[in-house]
Amino acid sequence: MSESQTIAVQVAAIEQVTPLIKHFTLAPLDGGNLPAFSGGSHIIVVMRGATRTFRNPYSLLSPPNRLEAYEIGVRRMEESRGGSHFLHDAVRVGTRLEIAHPVNLFPLDKIARKHVLIAGGIGITPFLAQLEDLHGGAVPYELHYSVRSPAHAAFLDRLRDREGERVRMYCDSAGEAIPFDALLSTQPLGTHVYVCGPEGLIRRVIDTAKASGWPGSHIHWEQFSVPPVGDAFDAFLAKSQRMVHVLPDQTLLEAIEAAGIDVPYLCRGGVCGFCHTRVTGLDGELIHNDHYLSDAEKSACKSIMPCVSRARGKSLVLDL
Amino acid sequence: MLITGIKSKPVYTPLSADIGGRYHLMLGMGVGAAPLLRVVAQMRTEAPSALANTRVLYVPPSGDAAQAHVAEFQNTGVAEVRTFGNAQALLAAFSALLTQALMGTRLYVAGPESFMGLGMKIALQFNLNKDEIRAEESGSLARRVHCVHCRAETEDVRTNVVQCVGCSRWLLVRDHYSRRLAAYMGVMADAEAPGELPPIQEVFA
Repeated sequence: MSESQTIAVQVAAIEQVTPLIKHFTLAPLDGGNLPAFSGGSHIIVVMRGATRTFRNPYSLLSPPNRLEAYEIGVRRMEESRGGSHFLHDAVRVGTRLEIAHPVNLFPLDKIARKHVLIAGGIGITPFLAQLEDLHGGAVPYELHYSVRSPAHAAFLDRLRDREGERVRMYCDSAGEAIPFDALLSTQPLGTHVYVCGPEGLIRRVIDTAKASGWPGSHIHWEQFSVPPVGDAFDAFLAKSQRMVHVLPDQTLLEAIEAAGIDVPYLCRGGVCGFCHTRVTGLDGELIHNDHYLSDAEKSACKSIMPCVSRARGKSLVLDL
Repeated sequence: MLITGIKSKPVYTPLSADIGGRYHLMLGMGVGAAPLLRVVAQMRTEAPSALANTRVLYVPPSGDAAQAHVAEFQNTGVAEVRTFGNAQALLAAFSALLTQALMGTRLYVAGPESFMGLGMKIALQFNLNKDEIRAEESGSLARRVHCVHCRAETEDVRTNVVQCVGCSRWLLVRDHYSRRLAAYMGVMADAEAPGELPPIQEVFA
């Protein structure tokens, strides 16, 4: 992905749907239709702030057959490095943004016999688009949606109107919890489970499904890691013979891009593996924050996902 | 003349118990009993509780050995052993079982290749993936051959070239396999030069 491939859009509508979540409608600047996508896709939104550029992934929540505009839901992160605060505070109706083409790293299984969707909080967004694909089809499905309290249940009206009993709500504030064991130990053969939300929820679903005998190929999850803030460090790019300095609240990928070097990426959230970069020298340690590399690969210290991971120590040399 | 090296040809591996599963379903035919009994023995040492969730569907060979195999299964303590007179009857019962089966089910298949293919074809219809099915060939490699011209299936093919039961064309049997049809593809062998056939040899014993 590089800048030349982005699409210019303009914010057509903004709605505050919960105390923490804003719903943005993005229309193409030149009119016409945006590229087609399938439910579960995300886009990267490029935000040019005063001092730096943010590129964050957001799931598309609009119907995949409606291409006049894309819709995203953005939760204001407490520990934001700036991206979600920029969208919440600096963006108005009419603001121009750039987006990358949609990519789907969280697709529905096409030959599943049943779909069980599990959302926590802002994790509802990819499912809103997927439900459009499932609605009216022959394959049964159900959505389990867990939120802090009724006030935090984004898009609930639209879900209830459309899906009725297929949507089950659980409010932490009312002491309600998804019955993970009962849910995952009674599904018919050929069911696929999809989970999106906080790390604890994803872990719980994966662990419970595996304990109930589910094989990995029937368990799907998506979680874009928020790149954690860390200590500043330097990286030497061996091929380009450049030294880059990574600020505490900057990612390694952003620092490399700021030096004018393109690294291919798709998700910028430690999921897709596209920005995989070889580490050719290290005096110190790598702080892996991705969900892509295996534990063995992480401890081998031969590669890093610069979109979310960092280094600590004397020197880091990359094959770039 | 036999075309090999085609990637769709199934690769089988020796069976072992997948104790990550919660329910275990075994399909066996003839000498396929041996690999299944091996899995059951492995369960008994590594995860005895799995035996109570294990069911065996089996087509015994005719003769004295048959009852011995069935008795061997019954002595292992698995939850159920059902025997069938032929593959069709077993597969019908298997299909009925899958409509009631839950996620967490693992399938083990052993026997002649065409029998395994038909079992896995049904499993595929229930969206069982590779990580839910284990298969080990034990017995005849005779093939089901799907005629790409008339779509008839010729059973129990042991030769490199066979006459189609549907359209009577002479078919060259390829290694190209369809999991959906549970059959190898057969293409007309003498299309270019009618009547000129390669030497017919028994190649699938």
